[in-house]
Amino acid sequence: MKMHGPPTRHGKDFSAVEIKGLGKTYYSGFWKTPHVGLRSLDLNVQKGEIFGFIGPNGAGKTTTIKCMLALHRPTAGQVFLLGKNARDPDSRRKVGFLPERPFFYQHLTASEFLDFYARLFAIPRNQRVRLCGELLEKVDLAHVADVPLGRFSKGMLQRAGVAQALINEPELVILDEPMSGLDPLGRMLVRDIILEQRELGRTVFFSSHILSDVQSICDRVGLIVAGELKAMGRIDTLIDRQIKHVDCTIDVPSGFAFKGEVVARQGHEHLLRVPPEKVEELLTKVMSSGGRVIQVQPARMTLEQVLVEELGKTGKGATRGSTGSDAAHREQTRT
Amino acid sequence: MNRIWAIAMNTYREAIRDRVLFSLLFFGAVVLVASLVVREITIGDQEKVVRGVAQGAISLFSSIIAMFLGIGLVRKELERKTIFTIASKPISRWMFLLGKYLGLLFTLAVNILLMLALYVLLMLLDQGLPHSDLLAFTVLLFVELMLLTAWATLFSTYSGPTTATAFTLSVFVIGHLADDIWLFGQQADHEWIRKLSEILYWLLPNFEIFNVQPQTVHELPIALGYVLSATGYGLGYTAAVLALAVFIFQKRDFA
Repeated sequence: MKMHGPPTRHGKDFSAVEIKGLGKTYYSGFWKTPHVGLRSLDLNVQKGEIFGFIGPNGAGKTTTIKCMLALHRPTAGQVFLLGKNARDPDSRRKVGFLPERPFFYQHLTASEFLDFYARLFAIPRNQRVRLCGELLEKVDLAHVADVPLGRFSKGMLQRAGVAQALINEPELVILDEPMSGLDPLGRMLVRDIILEQRELGRTVFFSSHILSDVQSICDRVGLIVAGELKAMGRIDTLIDRQIKHVDCTIDVPSGFAFKGEVVARQGHEHLLRVPPEKVEELLTKVMSSGGRVIQVQPARMTLEQVLVEELGKTGKGATRGSTGSDAAHREQTRT
Repeated sequence: MNRIWAIAMNTYREAIRDRVLFSLLFFGAVVLVASLVVREITIGDQEKVVRGVAQGAISLFSSIIAMFLGIGLVRKELERKTIFTIASKPISRWMFLLGKYLGLLFTLAVNILLMLALYVLLMLLDQGLPHSDLLAFTVLLFVELMLLTAWATLFSTYSGPTTATAFTLSVFVIGHLADDIWLFGQQADHEWIRKLSEILYWLLPNFEIFNVQPQTVHELPIALGYVLSATGYGLGYTAAVLALAVFIFQKRDFA
């Protein structure tokens, strides 16, 4: 009979990941100066969804993941994985994890490597053999099953890492930068595996710098900057909410006047850039003046632009955590 | 238990595929064989000198291997970040540490047995069947290595490789000088020095308790009671050091 232990969420109605008030402070140097890594983070990931965790370098993505898996001891707050307190090792029984830039035992062959991790889940021998074979096929490493990992390329190691993260047929898969170091084919393979997990009813929580991947496969995202969760929600709502202007192409008679930025003009046709709240007023005025509306196009922001904007608001991280694509966006804005 | 065993076997497999271990084992074997040469340059009881040099080689090289492997036991996992994929599995940290430790003990046991087999072979060629007290020598050497490895494991859970090496070597040397610390205190004029030396004597490990080489070299009998009490002391001390290692390891973040 278990008398004491970390609290557990009872019943079936629990999130795959529940983070409440998570905080982490590091102390460094001679004077043990405190550095806040995470600041009262609240986050929920529902079962069966793909959740993308984005933010610049040093924002706290990996720290959050480490706290989730008890690799770090949080300074404050609690984490529940599949309804169980993350302090309890049993909470990780149905969790798979791939760390960022993984390094594995070089002395093991690919099949020994997977078998070792299967043993850590106490998976019976027959099942281990089946799972190892299936997963090596899935990540396209079956042909090098007996080759030591020391001879693997970076991409092959990453794929082997993905295989070990799935060895226990997890209900929750946590991937830290799973696309890093992969060529386009490798990225596609990992993306397909992530999507397949959702089809199997599993939950995927992953962090990534490659925002186009996040945008294309995630159901919801969380944006973390300087240890604080800045935004969280469905991709479409997060992006919709961020519509800054609408490009309206109109054909109006001479003398038509409206307050807005004229982007282009050709004869009676004008391309006007107006704020979203002014669109209705503009269209009414065009119609009443006898003109016609040719095209109305809301300029939806990409996830990348949302991130850049949040970084700009914070005033931190923009320089610290600029990704290549962020830099590209800033360049575009200037021109 | 299966999961601890998996970690232990992986540790063993990694160790036996390490070239440095083979180099150390090779040098140990060379010194063992060279002990036969000593006979040629010795005056007096040549057989005892051969036994002394050979057993000394087994003891020294086993200790070096134990320290070398023990210091890297946890440190390597942390530096290479392989700990991330293991500690994120449903295993407690004490399970991980115990598995690593058991794997190391298994490696050391195989090393000792290999060197011992070579020793027996050499003795058969040189002097005939070794005396039965060789068993007591082996058991106590293994217990000493268990304790030494536990210290190395403790240091490697929280300090860097250089510090862990320095600390483990210090414990090894001090442990062999424990009786001298006691003697030093007894000869002191001041009461506080006597008390301090007594505290240090009881607090620090006494590796000399496991050293029965004088008896085995001279083929003198070793009482079973002595072997049992020394083993009990070694196991108890090892458990305490490992418990401290687990306590520290539980608290640390894996960066």
